[in-house]
Amino acid sequence: MRQIAIYGKGGIGKSTTTQNLTAGLAELGKKIMVVGCDPKADSTRLLLNGLAQRTVLDTLREEGEVDDLKQIEKEGFGGIRCVESGGPEPGVGCAGRGIITSIGMLEDLGAYTDDLDYVFYDVLGDVVCGGFAMPIREGKAKEIYIVASGEMMALYAANNICKGIQKYALKGGVRLGGIICNSRNVDREKELLRHFAEELGSQLIYFVPRDNEVQRAEIKKKTVIDHDPNHPQAQEYRNLAQAIENNTQFVIPKPMTQDRLEEILMEFGLMDSIKDNYHI
Amino acid sequence: MSGAIEQPRFTCALGSCQSVVAIKKGVPILHSGPGCGVQISRIIGQGEGYAGGSTMPCTNAEESDVVFGGEKKLRDVVENSFKVIDGDLYVVITGCTAAITGDDVAAVVGEFQEEDKPIVYVEEGGFKSNNYVSHSRLVKAIIDQYVDKFSEDREVIPGLVNVFANIPYQDPFWNGNLEQLKRVLTGIGLKVNILFGNESEGVSEWKTIPQAEFNIFAGSWAGLDIVKHLKRKYGTPYLHFPYTPIGAKETSAFLRAVGEFGGLDKEKVETYIDREEKKFYSHIDKMASFMLEFRYGIPRRFYTLADASTALGFSKFFLNELGIIPGIQFIVDDIPEKYQESVLEEFSKISDLQTRDVKVVFDPDAGLDQQKLLEDAKDYEDKRLLILGSSWDKHIADELHADLLIVSVPVQHRLVMNCGYAGYEGGLRAIEDIYDRVLATYR
Repeated sequence: MRQIAIYGKGGIGKSTTTQNLTAGLAELGKKIMVVGCDPKADSTRLLLNGLAQRTVLDTLREEGEVDDLKQIEKEGFGGIRCVESGGPEPGVGCAGRGIITSIGMLEDLGAYTDDLDYVFYDVLGDVVCGGFAMPIREGKAKEIYIVASGEMMALYAANNICKGIQKYALKGGVRLGGIICNSRNVDREKELLRHFAEELGSQLIYFVPRDNEVQRAEIKKKTVIDHDPNHPQAQEYRNLAQAIENNTQFVIPKPMTQDRLEEILMEFGLMDSIKDNYHI
Repeated sequence: MSGAIEQPRFTCALGSCQSVVAIKKGVPILHSGPGCGVQISRIIGQGEGYAGGSTMPCTNAEESDVVFGGEKKLRDVVENSFKVIDGDLYVVITGCTAAITGDDVAAVVGEFQEEDKPIVYVEEGGFKSNNYVSHSRLVKAIIDQYVDKFSEDREVIPGLVNVFANIPYQDPFWNGNLEQLKRVLTGIGLKVNILFGNESEGVSEWKTIPQAEFNIFAGSWAGLDIVKHLKRKYGTPYLHFPYTPIGAKETSAFLRAVGEFGGLDKEKVETYIDREEKKFYSHIDKMASFMLEFRYGIPRRFYTLADASTALGFSKFFLNELGIIPGIQFIVDDIPEKYQESVLEEFSKISDLQTRDVKVVFDPDAGLDQQKLLEDAKDYEDKRLLILGSSWDKHIADELHADLLIVSVPVQHRLVMNCGYAGYEGGLRAIEDIYDRVLATYR
């Protein structure tokens, strides 16, 4: 069983990428569980064709305890088992503790069955506290992929996440599997991301081009593969799934200093020759 | 303080709940995990008081309160505390859980404050400090959120003083000590807000805090922040007397300092001192023959494991009035470094008659202190020793065949009701207790 955590800046497309990617893996016949680790509980919407999910923490809040996996687990596209950790309403409580609680509960309930090929954790934004690092602690996700784009803040967040990974990698087995670029059509994006990933000692595992088909599928509460299997974008996600399936490069990342990060941006993120194209 | 220590003789910040218990009809409401309150009252509390110990309302915060926030539960517990406990002042004290999760306690308590309920809150996440420090934070919160709002008058009442001294329950003799301090201060003509314990008028007294002519802080450091705060807030000047005055000599010195600071009628002060000293020494006179004959029977040297105020108070009293020589003084109250110098200075002038180097060790690790004590005591194997400490020192006292007078928490081997060692009467009580320990070993 490969346990994989997906991190990345808020709004970068972690949930979208995770679901489209797992849909691709499901097509390859893999058995998968997706654990949403975001209080918004929207990590499995496309797989379940809607937010029909009761979260682990909702169940805990309403019923005091969860005694049956069926209460919190739903099967979605391609037989993917979907679980949402959920969390408190915004501004109160401790979402980080919520993730610790719900992952602990999944273990207790025996959600991690031997027939699973993959468990994916879709974690919110930055690793702001211990709770959001829960999926990469000892005994859980060993592989991490960071979703990023060529935008400055996405790279900054990715670098920051690498600091968290490095901390856990040094004392445990967690490794960075690569950077997934969810393209924002930024100048020389692919080149920038490749250099950024290499600087971290890792790789750009796949470049997912921007396509409005993703948006259209999302509105229909579907992954691209589910919505239009023949669309070229569906193939992109199948390729990403294959890249992950075949990946053998797992490293302890070497996060860079802020200065170095900015140097790389200066080097690759600007194209003087086409600066006139910076128009709205 | 860093690293692990053995036998901490204080509690976490939440321990300030005991200061609320010490206010007449004061009700602490803990917003903490289950067990915190019990743990505290086992270390620093004998008895429940009005609403302490196991009667303390508590939210018993558990996992779901961490994840989803505990504000609703807190609101329920406050509401119901008003219904079932007839209190004059309710103080919500938040423990670690709510402090880390960031529950908006101010907002919850604010709802009740808007209805003019007598309630305040203070955030005492256990990790913030120990209870020596948190006591001041709590008192300041009561002053800022309750006294300031409900006090009717700000006009200074001549001769009115607020007295802050040892911390209730952290000093096991707090009630008796405060009674004694009030008695002697009243004796020299002052009107005394003693604020905690039996001799206090409760919240009506607290409401006159801003009207005091001056404040008195009798202690080494823990509580100094309160009088500083009052000076900033109401401009009330304060006198800092740096230890607990025990026995005639020190109590007279205390009263003279107060008299001078407050510009009291000197003759009146001296008349009172004279009367009290005569009474004090008459008891010693009465026992002169016995004490003389017994002079080889009582301990020659004493060790202290206590807070700075207690250690200084007893050292001055024992040396100057009973002739018992101070051995190492272990100050276990985790006194901040900035106050240590002044404590050392007080010890350096312990005797008017000769220079005496009292060895002082500032270390809240009482386990290490005990080791040092045992090591030092090897030099006095043939001497009778006295240990002023806590119940945790019983085994080393047994080992050394030393007499143990329990003056510090935790107290498990004696019952404390109104016993106090401060003042003239407290000094006599201390003499009785020392001789009592010694005589009890006779066949």
